[in-house]
Amino acid sequence: MQETLETVPFSCVVNGEPVTLAVSPRATLLDALRDKLELTGSKYGCGEGECGACTVLLNGKPVNACLVLALECSGTDILTIEGLRENGNLHPLQQAFVDHGAIQCGFCSPGMIMAAYALLESNPTPTKQQIERSLEGNLCRCTGYRKIVDAVQSLADGVTSHA
Amino acid sequence: MLAYHRPTTTEEALALLPNATGTVSLYAGGTDLLPRWTRGIVPWAQTVVDLKRVHELRGVARDNGEICIGACTAMSDIESNATIREHAPVLAEAAARIACSQIRSRGTIGGNLCNASPAADTAVPLILLDATLELARLENDKVERRTVPIVEFFKGPGSTALASAEILTHIRVASRPSTWLAKWDKFGTRPSMEIAVASVGLALDLSNAKVQDVRIGYGSVAPTPLRGRAAEEVLKAKPLTEESMNQAVDAAKAEISPISDVRASESYRRQLVGVMLRRMLERARNS
Ligand SMILES: Cc1cc2nc3c(=O)[nH]c(=O)nc-3n(C[C@H](O)[C@H](O)[C@H](O)COP(=O)(O)OP(=O)(O)OC[C@H]3O[C@@H](n4cnc5c(N)ncnc54)[C@H](O)[C@@H]3O)c2cc1C
Ligand code: FES
Ligand code: FES
Repeated sequence: MQETLETVPFSCVVNGEPVTLAVSPRATLLDALRDKLELTGSKYGCGEGECGACTVLLNGKPVNACLVLALECSGTDILTIEGLRENGNLHPLQQAFVDHGAIQCGFCSPGMIMAAYALLESNPTPTKQQIERSLEGNLCRCTGYRKIVDAVQSLADGVTSHA
Repeated sequence: MLAYHRPTTTEEALALLPNATGTVSLYAGGTDLLPRWTRGIVPWAQTVVDLKRVHELRGVARDNGEICIGACTAMSDIESNATIREHAPVLAEAAARIACSQIRSRGTIGGNLCNASPAADTAVPLILLDATLELARLENDKVERRTVPIVEFFKGPGSTALASAEILTHIRVASRPSTWLAKWDKFGTRPSMEIAVASVGLALDLSNAKVQDVRIGYGSVAPTPLRGRAAEEVLKAKPLTEESMNQAVDAAKAEISPISDVRASESYRRQLVGVMLRRMLERARNS
């Protein structure tokens, strides 16, 4: 039986909006996002850092939200897949995933896109090898990865799907 | 876990330890600790002391010809740091081979060492670099510091020279002459997200066609990361020849004590260490 723990309040910025939450000290960032903020784009795959389905940006860096305590995020800036949308439209990276058939069941896609987004933010023109490296921590059971790499590469080449 | 603390100085962090309620755990990136807690492999600590906001524990500085690395520096910062890349590139290369970008953003060099896995990927490079570890504890309310050479830090799987209320604060390595070349490699069954089946490091100063100085290290093949003193001994003060390389490989295979586990058998690991060391020596000779 899990003992009940008193919740502790903390504040952070999620997708540009300041939020204050009260969580159990044992809650992970992924628990807080999914269960408190109902941002269910980030997925729970393994809960131990192996699959990358929970990838979000914490102060601009890609992290596994299942391996961060929510309380550690006090005062930080978090970006999730829900925060990529621009004026109601898909972000060009999301659109590229759609256009390249890089999404099948879609379970890995939010984490995959956030890991690729982190790469493109720090390096707008990565090589194929750099793209593959940046996605090392993201498992996909459907696509065989090639279409995912193609989708990211299409943006790296400066060709957005809207062009 | 009942209490989560986030001190900003080493003194404050140390002062929390003796007064904490129940079991207490120092916490850095959490990449070793959290999966164990959330999966119920070990019970949650009742007090967590998060060290990441302790200013002196973060970042890399030059100090009297030494490189001083804060224990809470993330692997991604070790990998990209200009000073480390220039003066201790073997450490940057090893940090870059850990897990994936998400884990490297969080996992720290201090956590990697204090977790004391025989497979910790920064340990062998730091053995090559003769690193010294700086530890801090409170004595009569004053911060007392001591230093421990890296080879004396590891005591066994999960066990270190740290006393119960002691923190690893810094890792120091000296700059090396440009004739000093260090290489490290790990072997796993896939290229990424892999805990090493075995790892080998070799550092050589081969000026004037002779082994002037040599350091060898092994990971995942003994209860702790290990310095290869026997293999070093047969190479010292001689040219690198077929004979000396063969002797070094034999010495290496004899001085490790691998086990069989889910990743590989004992005999496979022994063979692997021999092959990896042999290739590194050949590459060093031919370069
Ligand atoms: C999916 C996955 C893949 C991984 N792959 C690799 C890999 O390829 N290679 C590898 O080497 N490791 C790997 N690891 C293990 C882990 O990421 C590293 O060991 C990491 O560097 C640990 O650092 P941390 O800051 O997260 O440690 P934490 O989990 O915060 O702490 C680890 C231990 O060190 C103690 N500690 C931390 N900092 C200090 C300090 N300053 N003073 C005293 N005690 C301290 C803690 O109390 C705890 O006992 C992997 C982990 C995961 C989850
Ligand atoms: S759910 Fe976080 S890495 Fe798998
Ligand atoms: S699309 Fe199904 S796991 Fe990647």
